[in-house]
Amino acid sequence: MMIELSITGTNAITFPHLEVWDWRIVFYLFLGGLSAGILVMCSIANLRIPKQPVEELAQCVRAPLIAFIVLAVGALFIILDLGSPLHLVWGYLTFQPLSLMSWGTWGVPAVLFANALYILAVIPKEQRHRLKLPLLIKLSEKLALRMRPIAKLNFALGIFLGIYTGVLLSSFAAIPLWNNATLPILFLVSALSSGAAMVVIIAKKAEIKFLFTKIDIWLIVAELVVIALFFYGLYTSTAPYKKAIAPFFSLTSEHFIFTLALIAIFLLLPLALRIKLGELKEFEDGLHAEFTKAQIFRMNFAAILVIAGTLILRAAIVYAGQLTKLSAY
Amino acid sequence: MPKYVMVIDVERCIGCMACVIACKKENGVADGYFRTRVVEEVRGEFPNLRMELRSELCNHCENAPCIDACPTRASHRAKDGTVQIDKKKCIGCKACILACPYDARYSTPEGVADKCTFCEHRLKEGRKPACVETCLGKSRIFGDLDDPNSEVSQLLKKHEATVRLEFAGTSPRVFYINKKFAGGL
Repeated sequence: MMIELSITGTNAITFPHLEVWDWRIVFYLFLGGLSAGILVMCSIANLRIPKQPVEELAQCVRAPLIAFIVLAVGALFIILDLGSPLHLVWGYLTFQPLSLMSWGTWGVPAVLFANALYILAVIPKEQRHRLKLPLLIKLSEKLALRMRPIAKLNFALGIFLGIYTGVLLSSFAAIPLWNNATLPILFLVSALSSGAAMVVIIAKKAEIKFLFTKIDIWLIVAELVVIALFFYGLYTSTAPYKKAIAPFFSLTSEHFIFTLALIAIFLLLPLALRIKLGELKEFEDGLHAEFTKAQIFRMNFAAILVIAGTLILRAAIVYAGQLTKLSAY
Repeated sequence: MPKYVMVIDVERCIGCMACVIACKKENGVADGYFRTRVVEEVRGEFPNLRMELRSELCNHCENAPCIDACPTRASHRAKDGTVQIDKKKCIGCKACILACPYDARYSTPEGVADKCTFCEHRLKEGRKPACVETCLGKSRIFGDLDDPNSEVSQLLKKHEATVRLEFAGTSPRVFYINKKFAGGL
């Protein structure tokens, strides 16, 4: 049957391609997820060895600082996207439990605050003088004693932030590609994976790189399984949902970028996995007494691939999602 | 509290677009933006083709996803039951635009969300929306569904009306009467 549509009085923003959220939101979702992943991973690093002084535990001293910077830059991107950022004050005069944007409005500053406490708590004694302000030095001394509960809090908030970005998108029932219960899980797993990858890159000790390489292997496996379930869930759903994944499997020029993204997701992540597995095998063969430069390079390279994959995943989901509609046109 | 609804008798629309222009003029809608539109949909197998002229606008849904999505209560239900935007409170996050399954909202050049208000300012004066008053074919009919004697109540009693994307569960307040064109909307 033929269907021909012509529309008079159409807003460019809503038709033909609904592109309301652009690259700024992509970066917000990416950086928010990355920050969440780093927070969870460095909390694991700082909590795994029981009852030792902070200096020995804090193999990820710089990680909370990097998580803070990454999230602050991410928040800046979403503020840049706001049409009327000066009206943001209204967001802090109310809390709307059904609005995921409201959760973000309150949640991001809360995470930044807890993250700041974490930064102060993990600063080693000999580095505290760098804080300059006596008040901060004193605060750091006090918080260092409570490093473990602060790390636990940051772990929980990292999980909240990691899953929040996915829940935000999945809450839009009008966008079939996003309105999927698997999406928050996918975003959480990819956020944790990118966080582990970032810790691999920034960690100075090769043992820490090795530990997070091992953690990331499982996260990449989980991510690939969830990506497959995400597409399968949409494929087996009703017409608008099935149609929503079509751009990913189309080679027409308009949708080619999504095909590329799909190839990248299924190429970059398994490639990173393979490199990581290769490292693991070498270490298990008894080579880990001394880490060669090539081994460290490969661990870092695989981590960069994972982070690139996380960005591509979010860009593809945000843009492809907005090409999908519940209505026939 | 009245329950304002719009009934669109699709077969009476002649596609003159007077409603689109009346709405722009009445509400001072910026150049390049529209609060209502007319969709021409041709369906069928040649030579058995049928054309529908369908007016589309904000549905002022009973279960409005735009209200839930709004972080500042800028999108809210007004006392008269219609869905409205308080532009002073809108931060321009565009969540409501994405939440609307009907693409009824857009972002203005000032960066805030905007949409059909059912001409709220005219309702306060006891007048009908500008698109309804200007409609040549009397395709757009407006009134209070809670008043059993209103034209909309009578029409909806007499005809089987449909709403757009009923499966979305938003319970729209814009109803369509179209006996001959099944499968549209």
